[in-house]
Amino acid sequence: MQDTLTRRSFVKAAAVAGAAITMSSALAGCFNESKEPEPSGSSSGGRDYYTSICHGCIQACPCKVYLQDGVVVKIEGHPDAPTSLGSLCLKGLNQIHTCYSPRRVLYPLKRTGPRGAADAAWERISWDEAIELAASKIAEAIEKYGTYAFFCSVGGGGAYSFMQAMTLPMALGSPTVFEPGCAQCYLPRIAVGGYMYGGADQSIADCAVLEPFKGLAPKEAAKGVTQDTKVLVLWAAQPSVSQTAQSGRGMAELRARGCKTIVVDPNFSPDAVKATIHLPVRPGSDAALILAWYRIILDEKLYDEEFTKFFTNMPFLINPATKLPWLATEVFGADAQTTDPNTPVYVCVDEGTGQVAPLPFGDPAAVKAQVNPQVLATATVNGAQSRTAAQVYRDEADPWTLEKAEEFCWVPASRIRAAIDLYAGAAVAGIANGVASDMEETASQVPVGLVGLDMIMGYVNKPGATLTQNNALPPEGSPRPTRFWNGFGGMFGQMYGIGYEVGATEEANAARIAAIPEVWDPSMQSPPFMNQSTLYAMNQLLLDRLGMKEHKGLYEWCHSHIPTVREALETGEPFHPRVWFDMSGNKFAVLGSAGAWYNAIMNGGADFIICQYPMITSFQVEAADLIFPLEEWLEATGASEFGQLNYRYPSPGIIHLGETVPNSVPPKRVCDAASLKLNEKLGTVTFGATGKSMEEMGIQFPLGLGVLGGADSEESIWQSQIDTYKAVPGAENVTTKEELLEAMKNRPDFYLPTPPEEYWTYGQHLVKAADGLPLGFATESRKCEVYAQILIKMGRNGFPYCYPREQAHIDSRLGSFGGDYSPICNVPIQKEAPQVANGDQYLGKYDPDFPLAITSGRVYYFHHGTMRHAPFTRELYPAPHVRINPKTAAEYGIANGDWVEISSRRTQGTNYDPSKAVGTELSYSGTKEQNTKTAEPIRGIAFVAEVVAPGVLWMERFWNPECYDSSQSSKTGGWQESNINVITNAVDPNFNEVFGSYTNRGFQVNIKKSSRPDRVWFEPKEFAPFLPENKNEYLPDDIGVTISNKALLTEPVAFPVAAGGEL
Amino acid sequence: MARTLVIDLDRCSGCDSCVVACKFENGVTLGNYWNTVVPVVPVGTHPDIDMYWLPLQCQQCVNSPCIAACPTGASYRDQENGVVLIDKDICQGCKTCLPACPYSSPEGNVKPSVRWYNEEANVVEKCTLCNHLTATSDGVENIEDTTDPAHAVPPCVHNCSCKARHYGDLDDPASDASQVIAQAEKDGRGVHLVEAEGATPVARYILSADIAAWRGLGV
Repeated sequence: MQDTLTRRSFVKAAAVAGAAITMSSALAGCFNESKEPEPSGSSSGGRDYYTSICHGCIQACPCKVYLQDGVVVKIEGHPDAPTSLGSLCLKGLNQIHTCYSPRRVLYPLKRTGPRGAADAAWERISWDEAIELAASKIAEAIEKYGTYAFFCSVGGGGAYSFMQAMTLPMALGSPTVFEPGCAQCYLPRIAVGGYMYGGADQSIADCAVLEPFKGLAPKEAAKGVTQDTKVLVLWAAQPSVSQTAQSGRGMAELRARGCKTIVVDPNFSPDAVKATIHLPVRPGSDAALILAWYRIILDEKLYDEEFTKFFTNMPFLINPATKLPWLATEVFGADAQTTDPNTPVYVCVDEGTGQVAPLPFGDPAAVKAQVNPQVLATATVNGAQSRTAAQVYRDEADPWTLEKAEEFCWVPASRIRAAIDLYAGAAVAGIANGVASDMEETASQVPVGLVGLDMIMGYVNKPGATLTQNNALPPEGSPRPTRFWNGFGGMFGQMYGIGYEVGATEEANAARIAAIPEVWDPSMQSPPFMNQSTLYAMNQLLLDRLGMKEHKGLYEWCHSHIPTVREALETGEPFHPRVWFDMSGNKFAVLGSAGAWYNAIMNGGADFIICQYPMITSFQVEAADLIFPLEEWLEATGASEFGQLNYRYPSPGIIHLGETVPNSVPPKRVCDAASLKLNEKLGTVTFGATGKSMEEMGIQFPLGLGVLGGADSEESIWQSQIDTYKAVPGAENVTTKEELLEAMKNRPDFYLPTPPEEYWTYGQHLVKAADGLPLGFATESRKCEVYAQILIKMGRNGFPYCYPREQAHIDSRLGSFGGDYSPICNVPIQKEAPQVANGDQYLGKYDPDFPLAITSGRVYYFHHGTMRHAPFTRELYPAPHVRINPKTAAEYGIANGDWVEISSRRTQGTNYDPSKAVGTELSYSGTKEQNTKTAEPIRGIAFVAEVVAPGVLWMERFWNPECYDSSQSSKTGGWQESNINVITNAVDPNFNEVFGSYTNRGFQVNIKKSSRPDRVWFEPKEFAPFLPENKNEYLPDDIGVTISNKALLTEPVAFPVAAGGEL
Repeated sequence: MARTLVIDLDRCSGCDSCVVACKFENGVTLGNYWNTVVPVVPVGTHPDIDMYWLPLQCQQCVNSPCIAACPTGASYRDQENGVVLIDKDICQGCKTCLPACPYSSPEGNVKPSVRWYNEEANVVEKCTLCNHLTATSDGVENIEDTTDPAHAVPPCVHNCSCKARHYGDLDDPASDASQVIAQAEKDGRGVHLVEAEGATPVARYILSADIAAWRGLGV
């Protein structure tokens, strides 16, 4: 997320917009004649390679792309990549079959028949018509129903349009945007890192955890950079699968260098296979396992005493009435606030005197002279029996002895003990926390628990730890760190003004809001780019966002609560989002309870659906009314800016096909065009649920800064690449795209490393701040908040996201911490669970119809919904494996390689009556309830082996693009046949309290032997229609195949700057 | 000359990237696999289990029963570097070599198999160690120029996600293949052959006992 906007770039963009010409004139003649392949390449007939960076998953492996006669003929890993070191996985290699797939959409397409895959038909239209159609539909809905009638969605596979999808609805006055990842993928973990210390989180997949891979590259080692991680805990992470070549290579190198690993995973993943200790935890029971670790670490004083006492809030005494730490001023009067008001003094028990005493923040040596805080303690404060935060934790952990954990989590006690000893006995260790908990009821509890463990161990900002920051050390004399809240690390807060700056005083926050002018001031040189009317309106969007009253953690990325959006489509309550712009791939493959979504949409929930994606997936073939063609990775300039460790690699568009465009372009065009239409009707367009017109609100379109993220033309994207990579030696004089490509051609060293000393940095919190104290952390207490006190406030009024206004208090029945969000790891009720001895207190009622626990995880072959069209992948993995233990398989009469059918409450319905079941088989066979929440059971291939425990199944998402191949005599959308998201639970209110995460893992199913579904391909040769030598499915016959087709080798679409007219 | 792959199973994650790298490089058609990755699934009872993945391709046998069996001379050994190859211009698709090879399925159409019968072309195919790239290579890749014929390695080796795969001549102690075996032996890690009746394979597999017990193909 590099899309920070400065006043300078904003003014620049506005100036360009002022010089707009109309789209039609600029596009005249653009598409009709084919051009020579570009780049032309000086050695015609020979191969030239260009440095690029793979876009096959969320990480990004540097690679070399070989071009011959305008066609990409080979891709290989870049040997100078600091982690992948030349490796490249099958997802990267298969990009050739993605880019040139007969499934590519290369021109704007409009649906010509009814929705649904069965008779899907498309008409090629011009970009002019496409933008106009989208803008008209949006504007018409907003005119008729108000601004909340529009909404967006986005996703993480193949086309990353996060910023565009978040900012387009806000620009058009709507609060509604969702992404199936988000609460179910990474948002909880990144948010918790922010809540607890204002720092990088523990996700290895999302490139927050980089430290373990430091010093692997020979070129870096030669500079003295060392590999320091000697003990690594992979908690629900399988980097060797999810990031096959990057972290897979990194993990292999780490293990070869002697790094010990603890892997917590129900599945015998490759990282579990190679682990020093594997804890095959029962799906969904991680929180209890974490509390067992706390119990031993606290009781046996295995924690880092100095760090815990002086750099965490564990010794703070907690006011039982407010659940917040006592402030020294509340107990000892105003004089007890001895540090600057931005650094509150709290209260502890002094180990020396046994008395309650003020505990100021400061250098440990200096504080020690005044007070020695006791970690585990209870004391009377202002008449109230008060426990320290550590004591609250210890009491929560009390039931979770090793023996109890073994019974509940299905992991031998001796293994748990060995893992704790390895982790806590290390000089430095670190936890990398994967995605599983994001998909369970424990989405907040698990990351809170795991970040807290590293904190009490003192594994923070140290070489070898995972809680480390990768940027230059702040200079001495810097101000006390603060964190601005709202949207992606505070970015939206800074731009829009909404959100509290944690670490600054209330007075400072109020003054910042008061300084926002009543009237737009074009001379403003710094954010927020806002006046009071717009601030109020934007703030209203936050308050009205669907599902936010209960699940306020979603504010972290400015996203709506997905099940609540689906209900709004079904019921029109509290408002009806009608016109939908989706900027991602297969929503039916990746949204939980996909059947409910399908029914909501196909029963008329959405009036008009605009999509942009490089392909037609199940979602587009079933539901899209209009499709914008996007560039695939090999065409897309600047597509992947993650880099790898401290190295950045260029991301040039190496080829270009048809009329595809960068993903940032259509949202900006649509926003401009819709705004032009709507600004003529400000007096009659209603702003959301206020009942007031835009005019009465004093606002116009687009709100705020419009659509953010990426550039609005191919030219400016190239300019950005040129600006960056002219820093490569030898490229200093590059000014054009052609010169940049020429400069990098056949060069093995075209990349930009950051000096190690500016990247691998430690001890940030110890640098001396302006007030003479250590810098500390960007939290309220300036310490690591193992007891995440911010969560208590958040549930009550939306702090810090909604400031200056307040969101309503959560329904107190929702909060697992006495009516509040839990600030510590606890064990919430797992709604669907297998029979667990003595587990009733923590589990929903056992449902004998669905006795098996299922969980999920990636396979190497795919990233999210991608690659099911890739023939070299599908022949290897034609259908999803259902991993099942031989003992369980025998009980159900299932043999290795059998097709099996999996059912859950989402396929059988809540009123399913098992007494109507016939026969003696263990599988259900009763009457299925038909309602809008149900779909048919799914099917997969049984992989019978001791890779999961008895009673546990494991399966990854799947969908089948062959189901609507033109060769099929009848078609389906291909999302129902083998898709675990048909059976996942996003319909029952068992959401995580803070983030609203629904349950994609750790729920209950049944299984029985079955057969191959109709239309589904399985034998290798069946996948031949996916090979690039086939005719493109969406082009006329005279254009033909996608690959090696000179008619399709075009210059990028030369959009005029503001399609649809001048703003 | 003993050109081969040496595969470090302590590293292999079973990701199948080598299979796809091979298919792109050699234009291997759907349903044929010049290399495959065999999951050698756990024995024992959960959770006391171990497993590994065994990438399998032509083992470059010293005795090469395929060459002895071939009636047309299509199966042959490269005179310059000793690599066992198939001349597809000569091969008539008689499949006599398939039962002769102890690592191949009788019809060359079922995994695990190192030789595959390509129905469309009516020839038998297998791993060539990418001899079209590596014929004169010393097996130590030049990372500044991966196409350098003096140092090229097969794409399955170059791209291997976990650097499990190594290429080179075991008779050349300086080759990557020889070096990795020497290091493994020094570290006390197991160096194994996939033994089969009638075969004297050259390919080597490294597996540490603390990762898993060696069970060959596990079948």
